[in-house]
Amino acid sequence: MDTSTELANALDRDIAALKAKAADYDARHRVIESCAWPNGVRVAVNFTADFDAMLLRRVLNEPPMQLAKGEFGGRVGIWRLIELFDSHGIKATIFTPGRICELYPQAVKAAARSGHEIADHMWEHQVPKDPVLERDHLRKARAAIEELTGRRPVGTRSWHSRELLLEEGYIYNSHDTPDYRPHYISEPDGSKPLLNLPFHYAIDDAMFFSFTWLNTENEAQRMMDPDHVLEIWWSAFQRHYKQGGYFNICMHPFVSGRALRIAMLDRLISRMKRLPGVWFPTCEQVARHCLSAYPPR
Amino acid sequence: MPWKDRYTISDEKTLPDTEVTWPGEQRCCFRIVVDLAPACGPEGIKPQDLATPDAYFGLHGGLAALRDVLSRRRLKATFAVPAVIADIHADTVRALRDEGHEIAAHGFKREDVSALSRNEERARLQCTTEILTRVTGMRPAGWFSLPRSSDKFAGGAVSGDTVDLLIEGGYDYFGNGLADDLPHYWVTDFASRRCLLTLPYYYHFDDQFFLLFPKKGTGLENPETLFRNWKAELDAQYRRGRQFAMVLHPHAIGWPSRLHVLERFLDYALALPGLWNATSGECAHYWSSTFPAATRLKLEPSIWRDYPGSLS
Repeated sequence: MDTSTELANALDRDIAALKAKAADYDARHRVIESCAWPNGVRVAVNFTADFDAMLLRRVLNEPPMQLAKGEFGGRVGIWRLIELFDSHGIKATIFTPGRICELYPQAVKAAARSGHEIADHMWEHQVPKDPVLERDHLRKARAAIEELTGRRPVGTRSWHSRELLLEEGYIYNSHDTPDYRPHYISEPDGSKPLLNLPFHYAIDDAMFFSFTWLNTENEAQRMMDPDHVLEIWWSAFQRHYKQGGYFNICMHPFVSGRALRIAMLDRLISRMKRLPGVWFPTCEQVARHCLSAYPPR
Repeated sequence: MPWKDRYTISDEKTLPDTEVTWPGEQRCCFRIVVDLAPACGPEGIKPQDLATPDAYFGLHGGLAALRDVLSRRRLKATFAVPAVIADIHADTVRALRDEGHEIAAHGFKREDVSALSRNEERARLQCTTEILTRVTGMRPAGWFSLPRSSDKFAGGAVSGDTVDLLIEGGYDYFGNGLADDLPHYWVTDFASRRCLLTLPYYYHFDDQFFLLFPKKGTGLENPETLFRNWKAELDAQYRRGRQFAMVLHPHAIGWPSRLHVLERFLDYALALPGLWNATSGECAHYWSSTFPAATRLKLEPSIWRDYPGSLS
């Protein structure tokens, strides 16, 4: 065989491998193309808070002042978010690591008492590679939440495997972003589907306000002010409102719980509430609606 | 994990807005902290760090312009001063004291202490206290470990021993905590409730992160963002009746092109009735006597359990 034939074969194999991977990935995803909401609702605005406080900083072995920065979320921020949502009659979803239940039991109980959904955010904000330990962590987190709230969590924001989540009775994840609409992620043949409720990094407080977020260099810091982010989020909301659909706002109590940002969120929510047809459900409410109105095939 | 060591430094919940009071029924505590250290690396101030145009401006023209802005408004600030700077610029530091400003410690030479041995950190701390006491005629009440704009994290660096050594060294407060936006107690021992009052800091109200940050040439000059952050926080904290603290660097804010932003903000702030402009020392003194740790620090026993396969 001459070298040109060999090369042609190699290129064919490249194309075949790429095609197979793309087809496999496509087959794993099914977007709910046009999601209609209960009566009169035009857009579902899903306020979600990742209540890591200092736990992720601790997992990453960051220095003491970084932990203190996260601690603000537990001492101060979470209480302000609960108060803000309660004052607007909004039910939010608080993604809570199991260990946070041991560090801030009062706040977790208070959030549950106010009717907010307490969902899983991993036992200690990381997922072990060993499958036995992974299941152990997921169950520990569930037990910790259930002990404080009296309710078993049905949702998660985590890297836990889909198979494990389904086996353990979870009905949704709120993690990856292959689309802006709720969607199912499954095996290529459509089996083992799990609903995903996407959030976007540009609608996430930490991207604008948290120094060194995701290990970024100093040159990459954008120290923004609340007015600027309010305009970005308000414009984003308007576009979502115009077309109808799903809008997830991701917050962190140690970031959004700062007084200047609570005031900004208060203005944002007040503006949204002036429009008809804005629904502020928990993730669980969104998930149950999707699962019953648009069940997986 | 005995209590919540290496996770939390204080109790579970901040003091609610409704319980916060300030002297004379004032509504909100307003603190200005001025960092008098020139730009330097984590090893602290080196000779060449003092021989730069910025270092010169920060201790001369920029500082004079900032002092003028403060004195015309009768505002008092806390100057965080490395011991070596107090030694070199003793007359300047005494003049600041005579103008009614507080002089607090900012390390021996503003070095990163996080990797020092306990003994070496203690020796540096004692030397710092001695120099500042000699220069100003009084022991410093407060200690700052403010961040540099070149630091990886914008929170300032301390070691696991720093707060304990500050208590041992007779300090009344640590000046830049991030766990609250009110004074709070940094606990070093759960059983004995050994703790140090900690005053709040947040990098969104620190000028150096908005003025040609992280260094010249990057073009990230955002004085209006800084102004809006200051104003939004002050408005919100004033409404809640809590506390506002800003950090200024004379070598950065002292330029006329930036000083007008500070003047505009200070004039806005001073128009609010019931704003209590206190030095950090005054704020700490009031807080320790009105909300003492003995009655206000509410440490819940930890319900934490250690498990194999989990972080401890």
